[in-house]
Amino acid sequence: MAPIIEIHHLRKTYGKLTAVEDLSLHVEPGAIFGFVGPNGAGKTTTMRILTTLMSPSGGEAWVAGHSVTKDPRGVRRAIGYMPDFFGVYDDMSVWEYLDFFGACYEIPEAKRASINKDLLELVDLAHRRDDRVEGLSRGMKQRLALARTLAHDPQVLILDEPASGLDPRARIEIRELLVELARMGKTIFFSTHILADVAEICTDVGIIEAGKLVAMGKLEEMQRRLMPHRRIHVTLIGKIDEAQALLAGVEGVTAVNVESQVEPPGRSEIVVEYNGDDTEVSAILAKLIGASIPVVHFSEDVRDMEAVFMQATKGIVS
Amino acid sequence: MAESALPTPKPQKAPKKPTLSLRERLAANPVILKELRGRMRGNRGFITLTVYLGLMGLFTVLLYLAYTASTTNVYGPSNQIAGKVVFAGLVGVELFLVCFIAPAFTAGAISGERERQTYELLRTTLLPARSLVMGKLTSALSFIVLLLFAAVPLQSLAFLLGGVAPEEVMISLVVLLVTALASGSAGIFFSAIMRRTLGASVLTYAFALVSVLGLPLLMLTFIPAYDIFFYGYGSSPSPLLQAVLIYGFGVLVCLNPLATALFTEAILVNEHSALGMSYSLSNGATIPLVSPWIPYTFICLFFSLAMILITIQIVKRKETS
Ligand SMILES: Nc1ncnc2c1ncn2[C@@H]1O[C@H](COP(=O)(O)OP(=O)(O)OP(=O)(O)O)[C@@H](O)[C@H]1O
Ligand SMILES: [Mg+2]
Repeated sequence: MAPIIEIHHLRKTYGKLTAVEDLSLHVEPGAIFGFVGPNGAGKTTTMRILTTLMSPSGGEAWVAGHSVTKDPRGVRRAIGYMPDFFGVYDDMSVWEYLDFFGACYEIPEAKRASINKDLLELVDLAHRRDDRVEGLSRGMKQRLALARTLAHDPQVLILDEPASGLDPRARIEIRELLVELARMGKTIFFSTHILADVAEICTDVGIIEAGKLVAMGKLEEMQRRLMPHRRIHVTLIGKIDEAQALLAGVEGVTAVNVESQVEPPGRSEIVVEYNGDDTEVSAILAKLIGASIPVVHFSEDVRDMEAVFMQATKGIVS
Repeated sequence: MAESALPTPKPQKAPKKPTLSLRERLAANPVILKELRGRMRGNRGFITLTVYLGLMGLFTVLLYLAYTASTTNVYGPSNQIAGKVVFAGLVGVELFLVCFIAPAFTAGAISGERERQTYELLRTTLLPARSLVMGKLTSALSFIVLLLFAAVPLQSLAFLLGGVAPEEVMISLVVLLVTALASGSAGIFFSAIMRRTLGASVLTYAFALVSVLGLPLLMLTFIPAYDIFFYGYGSSPSPLLQAVLIYGFGVLVCLNPLATALFTEAILVNEHSALGMSYSLSNGATIPLVSPWIPYTFICLFFSLAMILITIQIVKRKETS
């Protein structure tokens, strides 16, 4: 499939500072692409070029087949953009806000009413339709902004830190919305430094550091490539020695450690490090259950993505 | 005018192609709709209009009273002159209003969007730069026009008193409208080049001050030169120099709304002409002088067009730094 976002040797300099250097990447249609990197890595700069707000100093990029430098209008028609910081018109109602941007996207007046209604339902703001935008909570504003990016039914959503400044609940709501949108066939290109978001919803990841792309690929591939050691936590309520022996015998397992301090008392935890894919993980669990070992909890390390990230950016951090 | 621009949510199936009605054209530019909605929201527009008309009415009454109390005419105050005083006073105030209020409405047009961090949202939509600039300008001007037309009944009080010709009313309206257009366009230009509304406002007011007050000061420097041939120190200057001085002065007059108003009125009263007069030089030859409101109108229109086109280019331009 032809990539829907394609970036070729992109470069952007601000005076002497090189914010983006020789950046090339591509995103497949329907992907949820997580663009990850520390502060100042060049994520926003890349996105501003993709959204035609800024001209690149070198290189080229295409969105849905339109060049960002030669056909900005074509690009604008194909994308919905949410900047990292944005304002709302404080004297508008939620509905007027959506209607205004719908009109800016040249949607005929007759169609806007039903589109806006659907969008408000999608982002769960239908009940706030006539409220002033300024009165919304930050999470609601973020959801409204997301609805705005969808007004013209774009193929691609470019979202700059859509979850920044949100409480965990609002963050999960945004996350679920993104998954929902991907299911509707949108390609999502979003930046974040919250790695849990990436691990949770992304299909593809690009890691950027000091203006350079340091790693890119399918999430699972990246995890395997950069973190050959996966780590599983197994919590038991007995038969600990038996479990330890069994796990040590599984192919691919490189280390089995028993955690000493476990809450509540009576439980024990074993940390298993291994190389392998998901089928092998489920085989490990099946073996434990097959041996009637009382497992109460079985999970892969949540710090995984962080570790991938640390691994990828290792040594480049200035 | 503003009335018809207010939103009528009823969806209507317009045969899209040929000539668009005013309403459709306004509705086709979402910026106009949004701005007017904001300006007229609740009773904001109503209060502004009421306060404005109240002040203007009060001013009219005060002018009339001041005139009738101060006159020393043995036959009592002349209604005709009272009419002229009231009319001139109102037009003067409106001219001031148009020079300093119109730019206040537009100085925040683009910079305000930047400050509110909504500019980039707009620039990534399909809204053309032209629609943004024209939408902002149209909505600001239509409110000014509303204020100007709302004051027409007050001006017609001057008609009751007599002494004011219909031409004067028409010309004053034209001068007011093109002045509003020019100062509004200057405001939107400064709004586009400055990052902050504060900076844009400062520049816009500086510009308005210079063009309203600075130019008359410059004209004063011409006066010594005029002494030479108004009061004739010995030999009269060459006719050519006279003509150059007259036209030079005329150009300055046509750059300034107040001077334009005064000299247009002078030609109307003295020569009974709305179009112009001829002036006799010292050698007996006559040169034609156009009534200043005509070139002033063209200058304002040209200036506004240039400002608008430049502003559109600025908005169109991508951020490069
Ligand atoms: N308008 C600008 N002028 C000068 N330098 C800039 C400008 N915008 C960004 N930079 C610099 O370019 C680099 C990349 O910035 P950018 O905003 O793209 O990073 P980012 O990855 O989005 O960071 P964050 O995670 O903090 O949002 C930084 O060093 C920043 O200081
Ligand atoms: Mg950023």
